Amino acid sequence: MGEMEQLRKEADNLKDQITAARKAMQDTTLQEAAASINVVGRVQLKTRKTLRGHLAKIYAMHWSTDSKLCVSASQDGKLIVWDSITTNKVNAIPLKSSWVMTCAYAPSGNLVACGGLDNMCSIYNLKGKDGNVKVMRELAAHTGYLSCCRFLSDSEIITSSGDCTCVLWDIETGTQKTIFAGHQGDCMSLAVSPDFKFFISGACDFTAKLWDIREGTCRQTFGGHENLSRINYILDLCKLYDLRADQELITYQDSSIMCGVTSLAPSLSGRLLLAGYDDFNVNIWDTLKAERVGVLAGHDNRVSCIGVSSDGMACCTGSWDSFLKIWN
Amino acid sequence: MCSCGEEELELAANHTGPKGVINDWRRFKLDSEDQNVPQNKKELIRQMSHPRDDDRLRKMSVQEYEMIQEEDERYLKHYRKQCMQEMHQRLSFGPRFDSVHELQSGEDFLEVIEQEHRLTLVIVHIYQHGVKGCEQLNSCLDCLALEFPGVKFCRIDAVASGAAERFSPEVLPALLVYKAENFFAPDVEAFLNEYGLLPEKVLTACGEDEDEGGDLE
Repeated sequence: MGEMEQLRKEADNLKDQITAARKAMQDTTLQEAAASINVVGRVQLKTRKTLRGHLAKIYAMHWSTDSKLCVSASQDGKLIVWDSITTNKVNAIPLKSSWVMTCAYAPSGNLVACGGLDNMCSIYNLKGKDGNVKVMRELAAHTGYLSCCRFLSDSEIITSSGDCTCVLWDIETGTQKTIFAGHQGDCMSLAVSPDFKFFISGACDFTAKLWDIREGTCRQTFGGHENLSRINYILDLCKLYDLRADQELITYQDSSIMCGVTSLAPSLSGRLLLAGYDDFNVNIWDTLKAERVGVLAGHDNRVSCIGVSSDGMACCTGSWDSFLKIWN
Repeated sequence: MCSCGEEELELAANHTGPKGVINDWRRFKLDSEDQNVPQNKKELIRQMSHPRDDDRLRKMSVQEYEMIQEEDERYLKHYRKQCMQEMHQRLSFGPRFDSVHELQSGEDFLEVIEQEHRLTLVIVHIYQHGVKGCEQLNSCLDCLALEFPGVKFCRIDAVASGAAERFSPEVLPALLVYKAENFFAPDVEAFLNEYGLLPEKVLTACGEDEDEGGDLE
């Protein structure tokens, strides 16, 4: 038992060193640094369009990089591609499984993907020769549900799964290029860096991990005490971490909020953070001041997913009542 | 609850995100009349829905994954419809209406605004025969009244009710929207868009100023 004790002491020692190093980096708090910045004022977003067509709760949505088209996935077993300006349905794709947890639009606009309780990531080609949208690939290898997927390009996609791993796939061959293992609990979400070199995964093991896509290694781990449900999406609390300082900057919370966050969308400038909660409400936070500056409210608005377009001009929410709404 | 009588599943807080999907699936399985879901499997699902503290790392059990493979989607359509109805009932309080109510006089108007159930939205269209746009708006509201039974749509003839003294034809058609005790100027475009407005050309007939949208940034 002597050896165990020694190892335990060593581990604790290392943890203390990490905490001390992080503290040394902390020369100020976000509140102090942001003190002189003007308050953002009340943010009121209004519904500009309503997208109708799904027959059941919307589970996920994702904008195309053109900021005009977007894709949504619903319990009715369909993926619908919308033109958010005209509100027309560009494509309605029937799915094999209704229990879809995520959908994604490729940066090129050529492909969309989705997955869920079927443990697979299905890729659809929107620009097929005969005009019909068909399944292009079914990426099957995960032994757990597919919680999130994001395209790097038309040939590569990253998935996060309830089997505690994230995987980088080669879409052409349908094979796993890299497996990112390390999480101890179900991976719930992922977000890719704008330069496509890194991605962050959030999991039920209370941590978020920063991965180097090419190296296949975990560079940083955040968290520790709280359940991280969606990347940047944190159950119970919303926290902002500084990647370079490797520590938590601030927590967005309010005593009146009693439930977890399940979806997050920062504004283009990053000054605002829209957070969707488990009770279907959406709060708008000032990221620097950590104050609530607005809510997305509508008459029957119950938001199940949220996304901000790449040009920052609009936000889209999907709701339990089968509608999607475009706000700005 | 979507489920019948005894098969109640405590919803907890998982309505959205992947956990929301898992939660919905479990409720569907418990509610399912599918013979392929025997009692012992239902029991497992009930247990998984109330995880112990040390179980929080993994959200689905191996047996549940196996159950998905044996899925029969026949009952899914019925279940989805039930869920939507249940949500509508749960979240839409108060009385229901099915058509645009014609107000005869100024007293009627006040009564409607003051007496309606506090959660009901009241929309009054002030119109005048012959004024451009009023007829179009009336048709539009007829459609909306059917689609939104929780909202009380009314209309009042400006001339017949004497309202014409206050509302000259230039400002008609006019839509007034009331909720609880607050009067607020109708933000017609935004408001009607929230309800999924039909032909946009109807809007241009309204005399209201349209709100300029600000950038999200």
